Amino acid sequence: MKFSFLLASGIAAIAFASPGFASPTVGAPAPDFSLTDSSGKPQTLSQYKGKTVVLEWNNPGCPFVKKHYESGNIPKQQAAATSAGIVWLTINSGAEGKQGHVDGSAAGDFIARYHATPTAYLIDSDGKVGHLYGAKTTPHLFVIDAAGTVRYMGGIDSIASTDKDDLAKATQYVPQALAELKAGKVVSVPTSMPYGCGVKYGS
Amino acid sequence: MLNFSLRLFPLVASAMAMNGVQGAIVTTEHLGIELVGERAALVPGTTAWLGLHIRHEPLWHTYWINPGDSGLPTRVSWTLPAGFKAGEIVWPAPKRFAVDGLANFGYDGDVLLPVALDIPGDATPGSTVRIAAEVRWLVCHEECIPGKANIALDLPILASGPIAASAANVPRDTSFGATRAALPQDGAWKADARLVGDNIEVQVRGADLTTGFGLDAFAEQPKIVSNAVPRVSQRNGIAVLEFAKSDYFTSAPSALDLVITRKGMRALHVHAAFAPGAPVSASP
Repeated sequence: MKFSFLLASGIAAIAFASPGFASPTVGAPAPDFSLTDSSGKPQTLSQYKGKTVVLEWNNPGCPFVKKHYESGNIPKQQAAATSAGIVWLTINSGAEGKQGHVDGSAAGDFIARYHATPTAYLIDSDGKVGHLYGAKTTPHLFVIDAAGTVRYMGGIDSIASTDKDDLAKATQYVPQALAELKAGKVVSVPTSMPYGCGVKYGS
Repeated sequence: MLNFSLRLFPLVASAMAMNGVQGAIVTTEHLGIELVGERAALVPGTTAWLGLHIRHEPLWHTYWINPGDSGLPTRVSWTLPAGFKAGEIVWPAPKRFAVDGLANFGYDGDVLLPVALDIPGDATPGSTVRIAAEVRWLVCHEECIPGKANIALDLPILASGPIAASAANVPRDTSFGATRAALPQDGAWKADARLVGDNIEVQVRGADLTTGFGLDAFAEQPKIVSNAVPRVSQRNGIAVLEFAKSDYFTSAPSALDLVITRKGMRALHVHAAFAPGAPVSASP
């Protein structure tokens, strides 16, 4: 794994240079992006410079996503993070016509249904940002520190299943990484295998 | 896991297509599943073969031990009489499913996932035992649906063999004999793995890998290599498989297990030890 600490001093706008699946690397700058949120407002990663940011890939129809929303697991993590001043961006890269694709109003309904509190719900129907981050599953999580460096990427937790009963036994990697970052510690689990439905990209 | 003991079960070339016993089929969304036994009865102190027979609806698939970029492997939890012991699923070679640029590994159509069952020496001849399994899977086409079924078989204990095969409605190519004959073949090919830049290179010494035609490879362990088809080349008579490192690679395991498939030929299993000196870790 490459660690480009020299580049990590700010947010490098790698932008959309590489086609196909890129993937950020833990310890390297998180690529900047610009998307429209569910209320029609533009959102960029760079506008949150100086804050810790969580990216969460979402598909409301995916049973893995349902596990973590119906159980309240993700909404609870969002509430804890955002009330601590952390930015939580939920991103949907589902292509039009595919399962889980949402427009702004469907995204709003989803947020309301689960009393979810992401900072914003971003629509990425052409999959550009999903590909930029190598997002493969829903859910798929990234934690970016205040300097814009990727500190965690991978699964929501340690037990790959659609079963809510597994939550109590699972390590929740995002809250763990956020707590470690806040304490100035090294993130003890910086990557894990993301698990879930495949992101429903268009062709 | 893959060292199937063929000696215990000599293959009969003219094996009947219908050669097992079965419990009730559970039909759920997009697949049917049943527990089947190869033989009509169990003998104390021996090992018998059971199988999870899954019939997928056209276009739908379930997953291998490493599901690839998304998905979940099929899992079984057994409820067995005292002293009985079920092994792990002995996974047939997977197929590759490419969806929206993601790679998944699994099965479609009809598949038999074999499991060895050890029968204790003190099982009572004349009694009947219930072998029960709770199976969980994820079945996907473009969408994914988690499934669960409780399936069971009641089998008599007989004092000694040979035990007749009895009718089970398993198609010929998913019979126990055909499934075993197609399992990834173990042991004949020596391999090692090493990190080369951002790639993982596996060198395989095996005469049958020279054509490279239709060759594909699947890593049993996730998080090591990317799930794309490896690049295959020949170097001094050695087949070299080059994989991109997984995005989630953190450290080299002691070994990488690969199932190598070739068009029209039996799949291989190779156990590739990582060459010493491979970087062992990356801390953030």
